[in-house]
Amino acid sequence: MKPGFQITPARGGKSGLGVLLAKDLRRARRNPLPFLIHLTVPLVITALLGLVFGGGGGGTSSGPGKIKFAIVDEDDSVVTQFLRGAVNQGRAAERLQPVFLDRTNGLAQVTGNELSAVIIIPAGFTRNYLTASAPVTIELVKNPAQSIYPAVIEELLGALETGLNALSRNFADELTLWSRVFDRPGGPDFRVVADQIVKTGEKIEAIGGFVNPPRVSYEKETRDEETSAKGPGFNLFAFLLPGLAGMFLLFLAEVSVRDVYREIRLRTFERFCTLPQSIRLFVGGKVAVAVVILLLGAAIMLGGGGLILRIDWRAPAAMALVGASYALFAVGFMMLLASIAQTEGRADALGNVVAMALGLVGGCAFPADALPTFMREHLTPLMPPNWFVEAIRGLQSGADAAWPWAAVKLAVFGVALAIIAAWVLERKLRTGVRA
Amino acid sequence: MPLLEVNHLVKAFATVRAVDDVSFRLEPGEIYGLLGPNGAGKTTTLSMICGLLKPDAGDVTVDGSSFWNNPRRAQRIMGVVPQEVALYEELTGRENLEFWGRMAGLESATAKARAGELLEALSLADRARDTVKKYSGGMKRRINLGVALMHRPRLLLLDEPTVGIDPQARANILEFIRRLCGEGTGILYTTHYLEEAEQLCARIGIIDHGRLLAEGTLGQLQERLGGDRLFVLEGDLAGAQAEAWPGFPERFRKLQQTDRQLIVAALGTRDPAECLRDLLAFPVHAENVTVKRPSLNDVFLQLTGRDLRE
Repeated sequence: MKPGFQITPARGGKSGLGVLLAKDLRRARRNPLPFLIHLTVPLVITALLGLVFGGGGGGTSSGPGKIKFAIVDEDDSVVTQFLRGAVNQGRAAERLQPVFLDRTNGLAQVTGNELSAVIIIPAGFTRNYLTASAPVTIELVKNPAQSIYPAVIEELLGALETGLNALSRNFADELTLWSRVFDRPGGPDFRVVADQIVKTGEKIEAIGGFVNPPRVSYEKETRDEETSAKGPGFNLFAFLLPGLAGMFLLFLAEVSVRDVYREIRLRTFERFCTLPQSIRLFVGGKVAVAVVILLLGAAIMLGGGGLILRIDWRAPAAMALVGASYALFAVGFMMLLASIAQTEGRADALGNVVAMALGLVGGCAFPADALPTFMREHLTPLMPPNWFVEAIRGLQSGADAAWPWAAVKLAVFGVALAIIAAWVLERKLRTGVRA
Repeated sequence: MPLLEVNHLVKAFATVRAVDDVSFRLEPGEIYGLLGPNGAGKTTTLSMICGLLKPDAGDVTVDGSSFWNNPRRAQRIMGVVPQEVALYEELTGRENLEFWGRMAGLESATAKARAGELLEALSLADRARDTVKKYSGGMKRRINLGVALMHRPRLLLLDEPTVGIDPQARANILEFIRRLCGEGTGILYTTHYLEEAEQLCARIGIIDHGRLLAEGTLGQLQERLGGDRLFVLEGDLAGAQAEAWPGFPERFRKLQQTDRQLIVAALGTRDPAECLRDLLAFPVHAENVTVKRPSLNDVFLQLTGRDLRE
């Protein structure tokens, strides 16, 4: 080795924030795992939740997917064949996916978690029902490994039970006659069937005055109408993703900001302090890097996630603005926590716990409406993650004009916290804090 | 005008005085060694010189100006090589040099050119594009040194730069430092390796428990022992009171005594053979007597009563 150069004073250069930013982004690119984890997790969670409850990622899809269940028809009569056909028709076919099996196979598939439930129509069901000679029972076997779909089947069966009971009580004579029609050797006599249809029709017509017009009714508003008028309809992914993004952007900020302690541990911070540069530049560089990483994170989570999950964001520019403000807040807040914590370990633990709490109370994980009353009314509205989540959801639903105020609040709050954090951190670093 | 002047530096942590009234000066083109065991106060002294710690008392003057009057000016003059390797492991050797060069105030083009020069000089040009985490300990040490040289400092502070590396890598670094010194750089070199201080440093300050016990050239320090020879007497010395032997205090100074060994320096300029005869005449059963040249360790032993290698 040889020194090989003249020793002359170095010229002062315009080094600064850009150099620090480039250095830290290069380091992040070469060691992306901590950042990737925090970027991927919300996308995966959203996709899983959406696939389970959303029935797919379609832009206007909503509600649960098809419920797969078995019907075991041990009666095998005209009536049960009619019921079997009914669940495969019209609106029912959009939501239900019945399969027709024998009892053994049906129960085996429930046990194997291939079906949500099995409905068993026992032998003699039609005769006993039409003649009212004995109470009839439909057997329901639910899959214990699932919670929502079996409950839906049970509710449907309850509705069917109510309907069949009402029919039996009001049309007892007609049902008896129908029983005879079906029991006739050689098959039903269609002239009698026609006669029965006329008689039943007359009876229904007679009671028409009692049921029409109905005294109580409901109006159904569909999102499809709004879609055609204003834009995309409700999308479960679009509802879930901002919340999860709000929480995981806090985690991402925590990971980014904790690099301050890594620099202290690796003694690169001490080396920086021996150079003719201000500690404020170092802290400012860390804030800038964290904000850039969070902006990339927000773009990947909301933009990339939107593409993957086929979310049609309605106001991307406004969302980007709210996202940038939230990035400022998250970095400022986490920088303050890191500056208060004395060590890297404490900063890690404190940051994660606080991010989780802030996200939960702020309505990131659950809709704010589902939170306990005190929390919902007194705490959640004070949480900045809630400002972010509600602003994004509001923008997506087209019902919220308050997003500019949320963006301003987040940005101001974030800058103020970052300034306080820089001041605290500078004081600590100046007095020689060591990780 | 000295390049570096340290005057009565004091630094205490709680009740412990880590540095206690330390003063020395360093001329351009000189290597000054600060020798002492771990925890002696070497790194704390160096930290106060480069501005990492503010002294409780005393002053540091760099190139004629008080450091704390204008820290930026002083820091532009000096380069610091910390004891631990302080590099970004995710960056390549070249990227580390360029980054730290930019932070030291170099323009981008200058930093690139200087990084190339240093990579050649440090024999790392062929590994310049590898990330530092792939480097051996010796290579990391060389980059660690190179980072401090990016802005061509006139004053170089080296805090045990050869700790934990193999003899060949150490020899390379020491050779590089000698050449830097030959080109006029003033170097403050802290170490607890006696051999390094003896081979490298023009003047040496011996520090222990925060106090600078002695300083001077190697010869001057050896002279403190009263000559250029030491006598080591081996035998059964358990319970022996050397200072109580007739004629001992007038002729010898005891440096160290154990149950088996007594190390003494002869007072005055006497013939070694005469000294040997005197030693053998003392009322103790001597099994062996040897004569040796005093080392820095003996000086440390004389100053502190304990071995630097302990």
